Amino acid sequence: MKIIKLTTALVIAAAFTTGCSSVPTTTALLEQSHSDYSLAQQDANVSNYAALELKQAGDALNQADSAAQHHANADTVNRLAYIAKQKIALAQEVGKKKSAEASIPLEAQKRDQMRLDERSNEVDAAKKETLNAQNATLQAQAQASLLAQQLADLSAKKTDRGLIITLNDVLFSTDQATLNPDGIHTIQKLGDILRENPDRNVSIEGFTDSTGSVTHNQILSERRANAVRGALQLAGIADRRLLIHGYGESFPIAPNDTASHRQLNRRVEILLSDDSGELTSR
Amino acid sequence: MFLNKVIPTRYSLVLMVGALSCLSACNSAYTPATAQIAVSSAAVSNADGAGGQQYAPSDMNAAQDKLTRARKAMNDKDYQLADNLATQAQADAKLAQSKADSAKAKLAADALEEDIRVLREELNRANQ
Repeated sequence: MKIIKLTTALVIAAAFTTGCSSVPTTTALLEQSHSDYSLAQQDANVSNYAALELKQAGDALNQADSAAQHHANADTVNRLAYIAKQKIALAQEVGKKKSAEASIPLEAQKRDQMRLDERSNEVDAAKKETLNAQNATLQAQAQASLLAQQLADLSAKKTDRGLIITLNDVLFSTDQATLNPDGIHTIQKLGDILRENPDRNVSIEGFTDSTGSVTHNQILSERRANAVRGALQLAGIADRRLLIHGYGESFPIAPNDTASHRQLNRRVEILLSDDSGELTSR
Repeated sequence: MFLNKVIPTRYSLVLMVGALSCLSACNSAYTPATAQIAVSSAAVSNADGAGGQQYAPSDMNAAQDKLTRARKAMNDKDYQLADNLATQAQADAKLAQSKADSAKAKLAADALEEDIRVLREELNRANQ
């Protein structure tokens, strides 16, 4: 029994001794450094851009391992493992930095190209705008000259209040408020002008000579102005663009002494507004 | 002898003291960590200049703290501890610097990416 106990004790002691000589010192920090190192090895940025730094970290880790193999105390192993850990982290940072830097020239080129695209887009847009403006000017000029021509056809006169077209007595049936075919034809031409110039409005003003009662003349002037408005409405011109006014025997343009003079006074004047639709009242 | 005549006694004394001092240095088993501390100190100020305090404050503080402790250990003539601390301070400082460098590179790359994103939006809007 005694011998057996002694043998057991010896075996245990031997095992302890061999244990000491074969099992290296391990610390949590050393293990942490090993796992950090594995991660860094798998990091594409590190292998692409920080091979040297990783090699130096590996050397530091080997020193820590070697100390552990030689049973250095935990403090020494931790000290070396710490250095290794910091060097591994450094390799990863260098990898990140160089990978970010590597992307910069390509991205900068991309940005410059886009800036160029933007600039040429702006130039194109400006050219287009100029062309549009030129076209608009040409169109406006064409329309203005067309309008001038059309107004000339209607014998429009320039006055202080604006352009005035006069429909004289011969375009109406005698002492009636109905337009004869020539009158209707003239109104249709005016309708064309108003359709082509939608910003212009008209003031339709009726006048008579001094023959007959004032009331009769007042009513006749209003009815003739109204007849012109009706004809323009038939030509498709909106009511709101057509202002009417009867002035009776006021504002004669000739003395009411002869038949031809009185005929001049029997008339409907149509005042054309400016581009903004403004009308100057009498 | 001839040689004894050439080298006076006071010279041999100097030689002996020199040999002794060399021996004692070897005996202390460690050269003073002055060089290591100088290198670490340079690493810390480089990291600081690179923006370590802004981008990697904990590593930066660790480096500065260890450098201070290394200097103190030097004063206490604990050269082994001074060397260890200086070595760690250097590793911390270099890490802080590389973190600052990579953060700045990332900021630059991100800014560029943002430029591109904005430009792409502008171009898309222009093409609509």
